[in-house]
Amino acid sequence: MPARRIFSIFLFALGVVALSTVGRARAADSDASAAAELKQIRSEMRQMREERKRDRAVINSLEIKVQQLETKDSRVETTTQQLQNTDQKLKETTLELQQTNAQVKTLQTKVDAPIASSQFGNAFDNYLGSRRFVVNGTFQGSFQYDKATATNTFTLNWTPQINYELNKWTYFVGQLSGSIGADGASGFSMPVASVMMFLNDYVELYAGIFDNPFGNWYEDRSASWVNRFATAPLPYDGEPVGPPTDVGAQLRGGYQWGGLGQDVDYTVWASNGPSYDSSLPQAVIGQTLNAFNGVTLNTNGKAFGARFRVYPIPLSAEWGRLQLGAATLNGKWQNNLWYNAWGINLEYQKDALAVYGSWLTAYRQMPMGTPVGHDNRQGWYLEVDYALNQLAAKMTMLPNPVQQFVGRMLAGVRYSGVNQRAIVASEINTTPAPAFNGSLSIFSPHAREVATLLDYYLSPSIVWQNELDFELPQDGGSLVTFGGPGGATPLYTPFGTAHNDRTFITQLTVGF
Amino acid sequence: MKKLVTALMLVAAIAPMVAGTCFAQEEMSQQEKAQLFRQGAQLWPVYCAQCHSPRPPGDYASYQWDILLPHMRTLGNIPARDANAIMMYLKGGS
Repeated sequence: MPARRIFSIFLFALGVVALSTVGRARAADSDASAAAELKQIRSEMRQMREERKRDRAVINSLEIKVQQLETKDSRVETTTQQLQNTDQKLKETTLELQQTNAQVKTLQTKVDAPIASSQFGNAFDNYLGSRRFVVNGTFQGSFQYDKATATNTFTLNWTPQINYELNKWTYFVGQLSGSIGADGASGFSMPVASVMMFLNDYVELYAGIFDNPFGNWYEDRSASWVNRFATAPLPYDGEPVGPPTDVGAQLRGGYQWGGLGQDVDYTVWASNGPSYDSSLPQAVIGQTLNAFNGVTLNTNGKAFGARFRVYPIPLSAEWGRLQLGAATLNGKWQNNLWYNAWGINLEYQKDALAVYGSWLTAYRQMPMGTPVGHDNRQGWYLEVDYALNQLAAKMTMLPNPVQQFVGRMLAGVRYSGVNQRAIVASEINTTPAPAFNGSLSIFSPHAREVATLLDYYLSPSIVWQNELDFELPQDGGSLVTFGGPGGATPLYTPFGTAHNDRTFITQLTVGF
Repeated sequence: MKKLVTALMLVAAIAPMVAGTCFAQEEMSQQEKAQLFRQGAQLWPVYCAQCHSPRPPGDYASYQWDILLPHMRTLGNIPARDANAIMMYLKGGS
């Protein structure tokens, strides 16, 4: 190799070495400066973290202080409220004390003053109760025509009822009935005289002389303006199945078991019991019950009765009001001789339609030796009434006065009957009496009657009633007469043929 | 009969201690009274018509209804609340 070439290579190598050395030096300087910056940044970050920690600590301590302040503030508010309440109460108490003080002073003045007679009377009244009374009642006047006997009869009856309030739970009710019958004779009676004591919402004591709850008719519908017909249905008329009135005590009440209108009610009673016509020489089959045994008080033992009624349809159903009921009455009518009776009843009203009905039966134990056996009596009735007001409203073709006239009318029909083994000749009363048609044919052992009715309502409680009765008795049974020594021996003979009859009754009745 | 009279006297003696009132309306709020009035208007034609033509509220004064209605409540065995409602209606309209 030539020296020049070797020298050139040497120079080249030297250059390369020099250049590489310079590069390395420069690189080393650059690394040192970056590390320093990094270090600086890290240091700053550490400082910032520490500052943040300190800030958090400060914030936490501040939050705690705020909470403590809030709690204190709430306590202060509560205390303030309590103080205000106490202050209010103190004011009220002070006012009450002032009022009481004034009242005491007033009373003291009154006590010191001499008592006037009127004040004494008022004080006595307050002690006894309110002592208020109201008089209502019924009046009726009727004309009756019976075809079989061709008799015209006028009758009058006036029954004022005195209602007396002793206090808010004790009431008295009493009826005085005065009447003039067909023979011109007047009569007076007291069919009801009783006290009502409302012991609580479910129990009431009803005691005294009362309409018999056995069957619904006497109690609910016997008032002349209440009964749509002028006469009573046969089982409640001249030959009744149960006593019309009684004297004793009842417990009664009603309870709503479902929706509005769904009620159940009960009546239980102990009473004087039934008694029979005491004018006869001895007891016989077919003898009539005394009409007002509460007044005659001639019974021989107690009787016990019970009646339960249920109303299954709620008012909201708008299906009308239905009542289903059952009743029983049991007692001794003489010594150890029993009278047992029971019955069922039905009532239904919807709009202009009303239906009433009952079926009653009574068994009377007779003394030994009575020839025909024991005394049985059954009675029933079914009544359908229809007010013409709704019908009249539809008769738009009629002149207005005619429409109004028809709208005040009520039409009705009633079928009733009584079955008994015998009837007593001397008890057959052909003289008509108020609410009692007096037709001969109903005094038969197997009486049947169809009654038709057209009422005209002058007002809800002033009614002009027009009734046409068809008496349709059936044959059979016995007629009891008395003969033998002293006329004291009962004689039972076949009743024979019963005759039909017709009766017309027109009656004005007023409920006041 | 003596036993019955004795029992009656006993009940009459105890009754004042236990008796409530026939028509309790004084303690009611106005809202309750209004509700009772509405109920009475519903019940009046239904309950009264079971036996007779319903007498309009104006037939008697308010104090007269107070005295007459207890007998109706008795004869109809009307539940106390219903009797109260009918009374409220009759007195409200008289």
